[in-house]
Amino acid sequence: MDGFVKFTSQSQGRDRIFRATQYACALSIYLLRNNAERKDLVAKLKSLETNMSAGRKLLRLGNTINSIEAAKRTMRLSDRVLCLCLTAANVNRALYFICDNVLWATSVGLIRDVDKERWSLNSSRCYFLSLVMSLTRDVYVVIQLMTERARDKSFRQKMETHLGESPEVAEAVVPQLDAFVFLLLESLRSHPAVAVDTLKNICDLFIPLHSLCLYQSNAGVLGFCGLMSSVIGIVTLVQPKFALKP
Amino acid sequence: MDSWVRFNAQSQAKERVIRAAQYACTLLGYTLQKGGATAELHKTVSQLEAHMSMTRKMLRLGNSVEALEAAKRAIHLSDSVLRLCLTISHLNRAMYFVCDNVLWAGKTGLIPKLDQHKWSQRSFRYYLFALILNLTRDVYELRLLIECEGPYRASKAPHSPNPTLSADHLSSPSTPATSAWIRGQLHLLVTVLYSNPPLLLDLVKNSCDIFIPLDRLGIYPTGPGFVGACGLASSVLSILTMVHPWLKLKP
Repeated sequence: MDGFVKFTSQSQGRDRIFRATQYACALSIYLLRNNAERKDLVAKLKSLETNMSAGRKLLRLGNTINSIEAAKRTMRLSDRVLCLCLTAANVNRALYFICDNVLWATSVGLIRDVDKERWSLNSSRCYFLSLVMSLTRDVYVVIQLMTERARDKSFRQKMETHLGESPEVAEAVVPQLDAFVFLLLESLRSHPAVAVDTLKNICDLFIPLHSLCLYQSNAGVLGFCGLMSSVIGIVTLVQPKFALKP
Repeated sequence: MDSWVRFNAQSQAKERVIRAAQYACTLLGYTLQKGGATAELHKTVSQLEAHMSMTRKMLRLGNSVEALEAAKRAIHLSDSVLRLCLTISHLNRAMYFVCDNVLWAGKTGLIPKLDQHKWSQRSFRYYLFALILNLTRDVYELRLLIECEGPYRASKAPHSPNPTLSADHLSSPSTPATSAWIRGQLHLLVTVLYSNPPLLLDLVKNSCDIFIPLDRLGIYPTGPGFVGACGLASSVLSILTMVHPWLKLKP
């Protein structure tokens, strides 16, 4: 109970629970769409999803400042690639939040005569760019880990043993590919935070890819991906060792 | 900027800011109505207020657990009056949050045939009880402080005449003596409150808050303008106690 209270007292914790619920509803609606007996349940889920989405938009009103502060912090990083990727990601997130706030103001009726489609497109673009930058950073961190591991003597011995065992299988598979995959898996296993972050960003990426019509998927896939990334987000908050730093 | 980030990271802080905005909308709606504004503008303000109310209800979904944890902590207080007041106040708050969650479920359509008025009245009743207990605690703390301060002042000025002991005054209770006593007590009260800002803030906040359930339950109807002003004032004071934690009354 104490842990639950501590988790929900963080603004991010509650937002991730709401996001998980929202995408779980979207997924359930997709799965039940052809079920005639569950029409009232589907209506309830749709109403819940809309309410959660609207509520979350209001709760996001102050997040631009959070992203700008995060961008200021990442600008001071020593590693150039990390500095560039993370600052660009944070700046794009700040722009995404600005577009999101404008969309909220339009939906509530505070601003009229706004091209909703254009602002929605811009917000998807900014979100997409921030995810691409985050993924670039993940790839860079993985490459660094792999290079480090490859130089490690004890790991090289492990690699030799792995390539040596079951030689009849190794003949069928290209040895370099096998070695690469082994190195990749070992690096990810030693640093679960980067694996978790990559998975989360890949799941999240499907959403703007669909909105920008770059890769159309159905509502079920979007719901599933959103739910997965929200659950991963909750896990990283509950278990800080899974949170990728900086 | 950094302090905003820290402030914003607390879920309660966001809820208080939205509460302030909600009651500002209530007040604004009343002002616009009195000022004869367009129906469209009034409708926008009411819709904004309803949207904020719904979002706050959504944000409060886990708060009964928090209130129960606070009640568990309050049981271990040493002072019996404080223990009683705070524990029952937190339990009432927990019940208020439960009713509030049921109302949210009704409004989103999860519970279709909910008697919203009945549950709303129930939630306001629990809220009123919690506020009465908080005010009782404030008055109790104030009385304790006055009792401490009173003898200290008497020892500071030993030559000042004590009107209640004078036989002449007992036989004919003259107005100047009583009014002097009242003035003295008021001065004492003001001094105690001025030197204890957390207690003053809590007292003012609870006094502002109590008008909201009194109005909604029909016990003392004051109208949307006054309710909006009281709600806005108490939200601002609450935000102040969050920004400056030393202003929060403990326990």
